[in-house]
Amino acid sequence: MQEFLQLVVSGIATGGIFASLALALVLIYNAMGLVNFAQGEMAMLATFVAYSLVNRGMSFWIAFPVTLVLAFGGGIVIQRVVIKPAERAPVLTLVIITLGLATLVNGLAGFIWGYVPRSFPSPFSPDSVDLAGVFISYRDLGVIAVSGLVLLCVYLLLQHTTVGLTLRAAAHHPEASRLLGVQVSWMLALGWGLASAVGAVSGMMVAPILLLEPNMMQTIIIYAFAAAVLGGIESPLGAVVGGLIVGVTVNLAGSYIPGVGGDLQLAVGLGIIVAVLILRPNGLFGRAAVRRV
Amino acid sequence: MSAILELENVHAGYGPTSVLHGVSLSVPEGGVVSLLGANGAGKTTTLRAITGGVRWSGDIRFAGRSLRRTSTEEIVRGGIAHVPEGRGICTELTVDENLRLGSHLRRDGAEVRKDYDRVFEYFPVLKERRRLSASTLSGGEQQMLALARALLMRPRLMLLDEPSLGLAPIVVRSIFEIVRSINLTSKVAVLLVEQNARIALDMSSTAYVLEVGRVAVQGAGAELQGNESVRRSYLGY
Repeated sequence: MQEFLQLVVSGIATGGIFASLALALVLIYNAMGLVNFAQGEMAMLATFVAYSLVNRGMSFWIAFPVTLVLAFGGGIVIQRVVIKPAERAPVLTLVIITLGLATLVNGLAGFIWGYVPRSFPSPFSPDSVDLAGVFISYRDLGVIAVSGLVLLCVYLLLQHTTVGLTLRAAAHHPEASRLLGVQVSWMLALGWGLASAVGAVSGMMVAPILLLEPNMMQTIIIYAFAAAVLGGIESPLGAVVGGLIVGVTVNLAGSYIPGVGGDLQLAVGLGIIVAVLILRPNGLFGRAAVRRV
Repeated sequence: MSAILELENVHAGYGPTSVLHGVSLSVPEGGVVSLLGANGAGKTTTLRAITGGVRWSGDIRFAGRSLRRTSTEEIVRGGIAHVPEGRGICTELTVDENLRLGSHLRRDGAEVRKDYDRVFEYFPVLKERRRLSASTLSGGEQQMLALARALLMRPRLMLLDEPSLGLAPIVVRSIFEIVRSINLTSKVAVLLVEQNARIALDMSSTAYVLEVGRVAVQGAGAELQGNESVRRSYLGY
């Protein structure tokens, strides 16, 4: 039982990491009906930036917000330079662009920092706290706290500010929003900036666990896809819940199902994607696409 | 009376298909003008041209300034509220959030609050349903929401695209009464596109009848109503 609870808590921690990246995917999917295949690589690049800052002697807790700001700006620049010119192109064109972007960012990081895995300092103590016989590491608690705080901030921004309101309106009803004076094109850029910053959180949280290298996010993005699809791909809340479910499931499957540990864990993520798409294509929180004829 | 909106020889269309072939019309400051005509005559396209939703040539002037090369957002911020065909309600959002989208650009907080009070006086049902998703509203209530939201933008000109579409006659009557009262009390000019010619002519000082992208007839509202041949050939009653 204790082992089970420990696995659940560390599953929630990894789930928080998946949830951040899944939320980034959902933000862009909502804004333009596009799955951003470069989301993981953008997060990886941001993590390398944080790594460089920390390496120059900056404390993690200063490097963290600085990186978020830089990632936010970077997301806006990417939208303006790479995505906007193809705004009216079919979605498939945009998908190919994000795939190209992923390759480009990956290569760029490899060119600058090389492919040797580096250890990324964890800002949390490696000790554990004993809660009635269940040992929970401060690292897990720290990851849960940081992810939870970031997700809460995004929620407040989207639901309780005017910018969030116009962002949601522009995402769902661009034509009607334009007629209400909403600068739809800038709202898309803002969405990319926000997604890029939220994704960067997942990178900085996972790097101390996985070791930092250009391909670090390639498994994480699969779990994030699974989380987003499970949540219904267009629901921010769904992405968070989906992330937690995927995190816990993967962790439990890795320990209790013989042979699933290690490399095969990724198959659990892929299995979730396939199962959701076959059994419940709208996910947990997505609405069935209803079209009036 | 000076004109708040003038269209001069406006040509417009979608890609290679041209829809308007030289439309000229004007809306006086604070006046109500209706734009009538059959399906496909170019009424909606005329409104879309005004707020930059379709490419056009010729000239469109609002408050004396040409709207050439002006983005939809800028035109709207300049004081034109366009209630589009299908009402443009954001069904993912609540009633309250839809209303806030109408007032989100305004910085005159005290006046905004007064306008909310006024809007809820006109449409008490919206106050009751503030917290509900806009998708739960009936067609008539959605039309009310669209009008209320337009009013909260405090425009100088409202473009209304078929406010009567799909609504029960009694709802249509009450909506038009409110439009007229908005026009009278706030001096907002109205350009009204309607299929329901009778009710539109009742409240318009001037009317234009479009036929395949051209103005076929124009005149005072009462005059068109009194002219039997016009009524029969263009207005269908």
